[in-house]
Amino acid sequence: MKIIYTDVLVIGGGLAGLRVAIGAKRRGHDVVILSLVPPKRSHSAAAQGGMQASLANVIKGQGDTEDIHFEDTVRGSDWGADQKVVRMFVNTAPKAVRELAAWGLPWSRVRRGDRTVIINGQKVTITERDEAHGLVAQRDFGGTKKWRTCYVSDGTGHAMLQTVSDQAIGAQIPVHERTEAIALIHDAGRCYGAIVRNLITGELVAYVAKATCVASGGAGRIYRVTTNAVICEGIGSALALETGIARLGNMEAIQFHPTGIFPAGILVTEGCRGDGGLLKDVDGHRFMPDYEPEKKELASRDVVSRRMEEHIAKGKGAKSRFGDHIWLDITLLGEQHIRHNLREVFEICHYFMGVDPTKDWIPVRPAQHYTMGGVRTNHTGESPDLKGLFAAGEAACWDMHGFNRLGGNSVAETVVAGMIVGEFIADYCDRLDNEVDIPTSLVHDFLKREQGKLDTLVDGRGTEDASAIKAEMQDLMTAKVGIFRRGEDLQAAVDELQRLLVRSRNIGLREKARGANPELVTAYRVQKMLKVALCVAYGALVRTESRGAHFRQDFPRRNDAEWLKRTLASWKGEETLPSLAWEALDVGTMELPPGWRGYGAKDYVDHPDTPGRAADVDAVKAKMADASRFDVQEALMPYDELLPEPLRGRNERIDEPMDKTCESGK
Amino acid sequence: MESSNQLIAGIGLAGTARKSRWPARLDFIQSGTGLVLALFMWGHMFFVSTILISNDAMWTITKFFEGYFFFGKSYPIMVSFVVATVITLLVVHAFLAVRKFPINYRQFTTFHGHMKMMRHEDTTLWFWQALTGFALFFVAAPHVYIMLTHPELIGPFESGDRVWTGHYWPLYILLLLAVELHGGIGLYRLAVKWDWFAGPDPAATRKRLKTLKWALTVFFLALGFATLAAYVKIGIAHAPDYGKPYVPAALQAAPQGVNK
Amino acid sequence: MSDANSKIIPIAKAGNGGDGGSAAHRQLKISVLRYNPQEPSQPPRMQTYPLEEADGMTLFIALNEIREKQDPSLQFDFVCRAGICGSCAMVINGRPTLACRTLTKSLGAEFTLAPLPFFELIGDLSVNTGKWMRGMSERLGGWLHMKEPNPDLRRAEQKMDPDLADKIYELDRCVECGCCVAACGTARMRKDFVGAVGLNRVARFRLDPRDARTDDDYYEVIGDDDGVFGCMSLLACHDVCPKDLPLATQIAFVRRKMVSLGWS
Ligand SMILES: Cc1cc2nc3c(=O)[nH]c(=O)nc-3n(C[C@H](O)[C@H](O)[C@H](O)COP(=O)(O)OP(=O)(O)OC[C@H]3O[C@@H](n4cnc5c(N)ncnc54)[C@H](O)[C@@H]3O)c2cc1C
Ligand code: HEM
Ligand code: SF4
Ligand code: SF4
Ligand code: FES
Repeated sequence: MKIIYTDVLVIGGGLAGLRVAIGAKRRGHDVVILSLVPPKRSHSAAAQGGMQASLANVIKGQGDTEDIHFEDTVRGSDWGADQKVVRMFVNTAPKAVRELAAWGLPWSRVRRGDRTVIINGQKVTITERDEAHGLVAQRDFGGTKKWRTCYVSDGTGHAMLQTVSDQAIGAQIPVHERTEAIALIHDAGRCYGAIVRNLITGELVAYVAKATCVASGGAGRIYRVTTNAVICEGIGSALALETGIARLGNMEAIQFHPTGIFPAGILVTEGCRGDGGLLKDVDGHRFMPDYEPEKKELASRDVVSRRMEEHIAKGKGAKSRFGDHIWLDITLLGEQHIRHNLREVFEICHYFMGVDPTKDWIPVRPAQHYTMGGVRTNHTGESPDLKGLFAAGEAACWDMHGFNRLGGNSVAETVVAGMIVGEFIADYCDRLDNEVDIPTSLVHDFLKREQGKLDTLVDGRGTEDASAIKAEMQDLMTAKVGIFRRGEDLQAAVDELQRLLVRSRNIGLREKARGANPELVTAYRVQKMLKVALCVAYGALVRTESRGAHFRQDFPRRNDAEWLKRTLASWKGEETLPSLAWEALDVGTMELPPGWRGYGAKDYVDHPDTPGRAADVDAVKAKMADASRFDVQEALMPYDELLPEPLRGRNERIDEPMDKTCESGK
Repeated sequence: MESSNQLIAGIGLAGTARKSRWPARLDFIQSGTGLVLALFMWGHMFFVSTILISNDAMWTITKFFEGYFFFGKSYPIMVSFVVATVITLLVVHAFLAVRKFPINYRQFTTFHGHMKMMRHEDTTLWFWQALTGFALFFVAAPHVYIMLTHPELIGPFESGDRVWTGHYWPLYILLLLAVELHGGIGLYRLAVKWDWFAGPDPAATRKRLKTLKWALTVFFLALGFATLAAYVKIGIAHAPDYGKPYVPAALQAAPQGVNK
Repeated sequence: MSDANSKIIPIAKAGNGGDGGSAAHRQLKISVLRYNPQEPSQPPRMQTYPLEEADGMTLFIALNEIREKQDPSLQFDFVCRAGICGSCAMVINGRPTLACRTLTKSLGAEFTLAPLPFFELIGDLSVNTGKWMRGMSERLGGWLHMKEPNPDLRRAEQKMDPDLADKIYELDRCVECGCCVAACGTARMRKDFVGAVGLNRVARFRLDPRDARTDDDYYEVIGDDDGVFGCMSLLACHDVCPKDLPLATQIAFVRRKMVSLGWS
């Protein structure tokens, strides 16, 4: 039996995991990172758009502050987010950008003077300030009032991951690549690490740690059509779920992106539509103006996705062997523009479809894109249910996204949560009563249990085909738990998924190798994925309202009176359904009481506390009309003490210079 | 100071403090010697090819290098001197370049297999460069040795005799092929290695360089073979008189008037 | 501009074709070099899989279909399947490149796949590039060495020339796929050679004014025959790099800088 001891075990080598690890390591704790793949291959690398932080360097971002970022994020979440966490986040995001800059990230920079940009399909000339020249630049991205998205040319996520991963190497943090956590070790309400499978040799090793952090990314692959990488299978969330103690929050909140290349699901950027690209149907008809006469193709992600599906459902999709799709036509943008400003789109079309987007239309269809839910944590990143278990990044429900996350907010979350949770994990490890105190026999039991499960798969007499079950699950999720959700579909999906879960307990393998064995991997993963899928489908079935990306055709209204609460899913033993519980959001402490998002339907049911809180907030604002924005905020919803000490403090901007802003803020 | 350095080196810690600067110098010298040799080869080829113009032209060039026109008298030792320099360059160059050779059979087969698999022109060219370099060890040696020891035996008849009756022509064929391929590839490699003519579009430049390289190789091979053929012809014609040096018409008192 | 346009339906639409798949598809023969070091009793061998081609089929789709329907033991690595992460480099018809963005229709009906050479073989088409890359990075100090290790994060970031930022990003685009190393004759012969990917890293940090290191420091890590002087300028690295990094010019540049130190 092999046991590896460390202070902190981080499951996941994406942006979130790496940044958590660096934070803990800096505070003097030993850290080991586990990753299915070399960390730089994590799916964080795929983010092209950028990272939101209210730096307000570009002229179109002038006047941006944490306050506006906060409001955009909360509105985007359809009030599902934890507003204190959002505050922590928006205040730390600029610091994260600056830290990354100091670490060598080649952020695209502001260039002084005039330049031509395309805003809503119109060419506009804007003039950047002299004093902004050379500072980190921001671009426009869906759902934000100001230009706030910091970016690195066409490869923000890639460059960020490169930089953070390099710093982790510099900090001598070991990454055990090609390993997979397959179970958490826990006892009496505390997590002690994980049982880990070496994907090359098949060997099981126990990693025992004071603190364990799940940073395993999203769960997109429970869907057939997704923009996510093939390793985004939600295994980290499943591990937490399988403890029976830790709970997953808001798993039904799944975001879809309108323009996934069909059928592969590879993302083509929103920029295509932003710059004037058109969506067309089987007849070559531009249909978006029929549905959304005002914003047309430029309506928000969920609205466009829904309209596309609606149109396909009417039989207006273009047909292909793989199913129906919509055409994205960017030919009208001209070769020059496509080859230069949309270089990555051109390359994707060229390499993956052999299509020349300057001449041909691109087949697209909405694809699963982001998992808002995940391991529920409190503001420190620790599970409120299972001590010593932390989570960060897309795998977590720290809850700054609620029911819809804004573009650019998730890579921001990864590094910001990494900074914050890293500090809290270090604090946790500093406390003497958190020393590891379990007997090795317990570790042994966990190892034996997991080994036993694998042995059953390899040697058992099961007859089910793992990849067939996986494919059925994915089809089911895409067909029935997609953008449009209806009670009967969801019920059918839940029933069928349960049957698949039962069948998955009877998987038999054709390939019996115990070492590297792709079929074995599919087998034990699909058992876990089905549980995650059930949390999504069941949560969606029970939530009889529409909120953010969760859209129920049979309950199209947001219903704060009944549903201003977070779904919490836990899994008991051999059950075939999660146990659901709900955690109410406290309207009484909200800085931004629920209201209209500013787009989409204006039709919702208020929470009984909302009018009262709204009045309170207005009163405070009126009373403090002359006070600084910081004082008003403090009066409405203090959060500063929630942040780790080193991360507190205001952020300098061109229009809020350091001496005035930051020093007085301390 | 010196002795402590020696001790440090003796213990095997020499490279610890600061990395030696020799690899940098050697890299430079390898390229430098290659460049000088390659340019010399071009010059050399033009000189010997004067035989294609006329025997006199070749004779004149030869005598020019022996200092005849400066001193009124030939000093073949001057040629020896140049040859000695070239030999030094060759030795230095070969010594440095040989570091790059596959050092054992395993490396050789690895590279060879790699080359076959990749079918990548520049990789294949390197193989030929190394191979021709290796060949040069053997085929250049007799030639430069003769030039060093018998500099006076250079001239239309002398060379022709050596080529034909002296059985040097097979050697020269090999030498010509080896040098021209090796030098041509070498110059191309120098250009890309040091990024000499990169310009705004390095890819286009490289394509042009490659074309130029092949054009030069073909040109010099053609010139070389024509020259060799000329010597062979002279050698065959002159075989009966093997060993008799060439005396240009101008210096042969009797027929002087006849020519004019 | 759009109205006239919106009525035209392009005839030659995407490769996925609107034809419902009625066109006859080629029968592919995919030969894969198979070997699992964990089962040394089975020697390396070529195995040929027949497969019906589909519209827009990439090697990602093809290999997964083979694994699902024909041979569950076949090992290969894909992560992003979008040409972004560098996981899927393999030797396709003799050339290292990214498999996920290789369309079968760009190849003949019969083609061969083999793992990248040079790197530790995990099994079949899967190689351990990550391990080598980490080692390379540790050896070269492949991270920014900050001049000011603890910047005040509340303060505005240091300014940087926009063009310089773009230039650094151009070199940062490397996805560590390993194609350049696998294609490099020098690396094949000499195991310790840093490869183009390593030299490119050095070029990248050299360019970065935020890095505290000087050329003398870089010389320490690449100033020998396992470093920049080992490179024989075969330029295969440059020719195979799927991200079109300017490796030839960068290596030459680093070489010039390092050579100039030889005389100082
Ligand atoms: C195509 C695309 C484009 C996007 N663009 C943007 C954008 O422009 N802006 C933005 O803000 N967001 C964007 N996102 C979202 C954002 O990229 C992700 O949410 C974010 O990068 C997730 O980071 P992470 O660190 O949480 O997880 P990941 O980067 O996914 O990393 C997960 C890590 O966990 C490891 N792992 C998983 N399971 C296990 C296990 N069982 N054992 C051991 N290790 C495990 C994996 O190996 C990996 O290292 C995009 C997402 C996609 C798919
Ligand atoms: C015994 C004779 C010779 C041997 C063994 C030899 C060997 C080599 C080898 C192996 C290389 C490749 C080095 C590398 O890739 O880094 C090389 C490079 C070169 N050689 Fe030679 N060579 C010889 C003679 C010559 C001659 C006669 C010439 C002139 C025509 C010449 C010109 C060059 C040039 C220009 C280069 C490129 C230099 C560089 O890459 O730095 N060599 N030689
Ligand atoms: S330099 Fe190019 S070929 Fe080499 S690892 Fe990077 S991306 Fe791959
Ligand atoms: S130029 Fe050639 S030798 Fe140098 S790294 Fe590239 S492939 Fe290798
Ligand atoms: S799978 Fe990521 S590059 Fe091919």
